Amino acid sequence: MNESTREVDARDRMLLQRMAAGDHAALETLYRAYHGGLCRFLSRLTRRADLIEEIVNDSFWIAWRKAGSFQGSSRVSTWIMGIAYRCGLKALRQRGDEPVDDYAMREGRGPAHDPDEDRELRDWLGKAMEHLSADQRVVVELVYGVGNSLDEVAAIMQAPVGTVKARLFHARIKLRNVLPLLGGDPPAQQQENAS
Amino acid sequence: MTIETNSGKDCAHAWEIMPWVLQATAPHEQGEWLMHHLAQCESCSAEFAQQSRLRSALSLAPDIAVDADAGLKRLMERLDMPEPKTLPARAWPRNRLAGALAVAVLVEAIGIGVLGARLWSDHTAQYRTLSQPALFEPAGAIRVVPATSMTLSEWNRLLHNLDLRVTDGPNAVGAYTVVPEGSPAQAAQLIPELRASHGIRLAEPIDDRP
Repeated sequence: MNESTREVDARDRMLLQRMAAGDHAALETLYRAYHGGLCRFLSRLTRRADLIEEIVNDSFWIAWRKAGSFQGSSRVSTWIMGIAYRCGLKALRQRGDEPVDDYAMREGRGPAHDPDEDRELRDWLGKAMEHLSADQRVVVELVYGVGNSLDEVAAIMQAPVGTVKARLFHARIKLRNVLPLLGGDPPAQQQENAS
Repeated sequence: MTIETNSGKDCAHAWEIMPWVLQATAPHEQGEWLMHHLAQCESCSAEFAQQSRLRSALSLAPDIAVDADAGLKRLMERLDMPEPKTLPARAWPRNRLAGALAVAVLVEAIGIGVLGARLWSDHTAQYRTLSQPALFEPAGAIRVVPATSMTLSEWNRLLHNLDLRVTDGPNAVGAYTVVPEGSPAQAAQLIPELRASHGIRLAEPIDDRP
C-alpha cells in the first residue's frame, strides 16, 4: 500500500467512524468519493443504469448500518467493493437476471462529451470484455481498473486466491488472443505467441 | 494452457508481473527488471503495451450515466424513513413465525425435560431393592415387616395407635416404610413399641443402617 492509498484509507476510516455516529455529511462524502468507481465496477455486471443506482444505494445503506462494526482488517475501499459485489449479485438474482453477457458497446452509449480518442478506447474495451465471463470481467476491472491485489480481489469476491488467480490468468489469455484483432497498434507477432 | 514466449522463462516471469508493475505495486527491482526485459523482447513489449492500453481504458469514467446527486438524494430519504418502513414488508411475518417456532420448541423442550425427569424418578424407584437406601427417605423412617398372618385391620389399627404413616411398600419381601406423623425424633421410641406389637416381625430404623 503506497502513501496515497494509505491516506485515502485513513480518510475513509474516519468517515466510517463519523457515519457510525450518525453523521450524514460523512456518508455523503464517502458516497461521492466512491460513486464513479462503483458505477464503473458494477457496469461489468449489468448495463442498466437504474439497477446500478439501486445497487450503489443498497451498498451504502449497508455501509451506513454496519459502519460501527467495520473490523479494519481490509481497506475501506475493499470492504465497500465487497458489499457492492454481493449486492449486485443479489439484485441480479432477485430479478432472475444473469450478469450481462452481451457486453458489446453500442454506438453512442458513451457520455456525450466523450472525445474521439476515449470513444475509440471504450469501443475497443467493450469488444474485448465481450469475450470474457462476468467473473473474469470483474477480476480484470478490479486488478487493472481499481488496482486491487489478488488478496483484495479474493476478499471482495469471497473466493479463494487461487480461484481469482485462475480467473485473471484465463481472462488475460483470452484478451491476448482477441485484442490484436480489435484494432489499435499491437504488433502482429502477438497472435503467434498466444497458445 | 501453456504460454509460449520467445525467451521462455523470462517471458513467463514478465507475463506474471505485468499487472503489478502497471499498478505500481510491484517492488522497484521487479519494475526495473521488466523494463530491461521489454527492451529486449518485442513480444513482451507488445503484450505490455496492450495491457497498458487496457488499464487506460478501464480507468475511463463509467460509460453508463448514473446521476450521483439523484442517487444520493434517494439514499438520504431512505435513511430518514422510519425504521419499520425501511424493512421489507415480509420481514415481520417471517420474524414472528420464527419467534413462534422458537417458543414452541422451547415449550416442547421443557415438556420433554419434565417427562424425562419423572420417568427417571419412577425408573429409580422401580429398581430400588431392600438393601439400597431410599433416595428420598424421610427423616425418622422405619422399615417394618408385618407377619403374613396380620390382617389389614390389625395393621391399620397399629399404625393409627402409634401415629405412623406408610410412605413406601410393600416391597418384594413385604417390608413397608413408615414415618411418625409428629417429630422424626419419635422414631426411636416407636421402634421398641413396634417390635413388641403382635404381628410385627421386624422393625428397624432406616437411618441407623450402616
